[in-house]
Amino acid sequence: MIENYILHILILMSIYSIFAVSYNVALGYAGLLNLGHVAFFGLGAYTSALLTKAGVPFVVAFICAGVIAAVFGYLLVYLTRELKGDYLVLATLGFSFVFTSLMLNWRWLTRGPLGLPGIAKPNIFGLVIKGNLMYFIFVLIIAAICLYIMWRIVSSPFGRLLEATRDDELGLRVLGKNTFNLKAKAMTVSAFFAGLAGSLFAHYISYIDPGTFYIMEIILILSIVIIGGVASFKGSIVGTIILILLPELLRFLSISSSILGPLRQMLYAVVLLGLLMYRPRGIFGRVDLE
Amino acid sequence: MAALLQFTINGLIAGSIYALVASGFSLIYSTNRFMHLAHGATVAVGGYILFTLFSLLGWPFFASAFLTLIFTGIFGVGLFRFVYLPLQNKKASNVVLLIASIALLILVANSIQLIFGATVKSIGLITVSKGLNFYGAAITPLQIIIIGVSIVIFVALYVFMKKTKLGRNMRAVADNKELASVVGINQIRVADWSFFLGSVLAGIGGILIGLEQNIFPDMGTMLIIRGFTGAVVGGITSVPGAVVGSYLLGLIENYGIWFLPSGYKDAIAFLVLLIFLVFKPTGLFGLSKGVKQ
Repeated sequence: MIENYILHILILMSIYSIFAVSYNVALGYAGLLNLGHVAFFGLGAYTSALLTKAGVPFVVAFICAGVIAAVFGYLLVYLTRELKGDYLVLATLGFSFVFTSLMLNWRWLTRGPLGLPGIAKPNIFGLVIKGNLMYFIFVLIIAAICLYIMWRIVSSPFGRLLEATRDDELGLRVLGKNTFNLKAKAMTVSAFFAGLAGSLFAHYISYIDPGTFYIMEIILILSIVIIGGVASFKGSIVGTIILILLPELLRFLSISSSILGPLRQMLYAVVLLGLLMYRPRGIFGRVDLE
Repeated sequence: MAALLQFTINGLIAGSIYALVASGFSLIYSTNRFMHLAHGATVAVGGYILFTLFSLLGWPFFASAFLTLIFTGIFGVGLFRFVYLPLQNKKASNVVLLIASIALLILVANSIQLIFGATVKSIGLITVSKGLNFYGAAITPLQIIIIGVSIVIFVALYVFMKKTKLGRNMRAVADNKELASVVGINQIRVADWSFFLGSVLAGIGGILIGLEQNIFPDMGTMLIIRGFTGAVVGGITSVPGAVVGSYLLGLIENYGIWFLPSGYKDAIAFLVLLIFLVFKPTGLFGLSKGVKQ
């Protein structure tokens, strides 16, 4: 029983570490103020769940989850290419609201607020991933691969160009670089991995509804990235571990679940506010959020 | 024809409520230049205070409503003084303030849920009255009051901004911060007042929504999305623009459900927001300043 609980926490950490690091690629490295990242996670989750329900093999659905999210990532960055600061934040936030309300209302496809229950466990060429231990090993391998690829991306010359775009876009343009192209690539990569994380999440929890991908998750993912430090790779991983563990402490206070829900959300909101006010650079942060 | 009239009336009622939220939001934005999304939480606080004073404690309605407005005003100033001002003093960017405001929105909504529970509450001042028949469309007396009160408030707000010294100071700060401080306008005091007045407007919105519909902990999120959409449509830096934009949004939403199921109301609102942000971020009446900076 207790092993299962610990494995559950470890699985969530692995999935969220992909999600958080992918967010940091766009927000931290490329300086794209995107509050629509949760929608990419949700897009991946819905794509993968619906495809496997329609009989598509898991491996194909998993890749499609990333690709669909990436396509929307490109679309979002293309549409908002002229916007800066607050307006970019609002537009990306609006994008995630459009996603949620479409999932709520596109009933014949998504069953609306009822959500999608009974999402099958991953079946990889006949090997069914079942049980928490097996799922943990599975997500750990996937997370290691995803994190490795993202690490290679941000530490490559391309990654340094991204950081340069963040720090001095005009200067980079003067040097003849196409900064929109750089940002678009960063966002597409970021959305792709968020979509993969969403797929892993959907097949683990086996039930998703539009509420899973709402404003609360935005607070969580922002807190993870900010507590670890914007544009810090290991920071996002450490942040994931801290913030997935933190609300688990509330479980030890024997309180009813109707109080636990709001308390957990308040905790995340307070953590985020406290960070912004007292330690905006987080643990390993090198740059400010601007 | 009756259907068209009914959609128009529904659009105007929704628009009045959105405009109350949007006008305060835009007043605060134009003087302080950051997006105070926790403004939605102020509306919810207003609704719940009225519920506590009037429905739970049984105080007279007008006294409860008056206290609600004072309290929401102070609540808004408190948010500014205890969260936004310290952040500004640390040279935090507008985006950081915006993120802080989302955290506040979540914090307040969940605090309300913790205190009052997740179930919807109704104020119950006016028992549901039968709609009056207006050329085949239904409208309740309360809905007429909502539209009337909103219009009176918007006219008063307009006169206040144009004619009083404080209103002029606010517009001066909105126009050019440096120049306003050079001529000796105390910016923090102007910011305090903008938060107070904006939050009182939110309180009025909270009271009217509480009377017309039910109140629930997360109501602020839905309302601020409508509020800032209305403000973006009209031009976020212009208070009258935000009011007009909100009415337009109310009408678009209600005409939209002519073609789509009513659940798509939200999606329509967000699409309007995205379309305006992408193609006309300055809105219909806003200044272009600040959009691309």
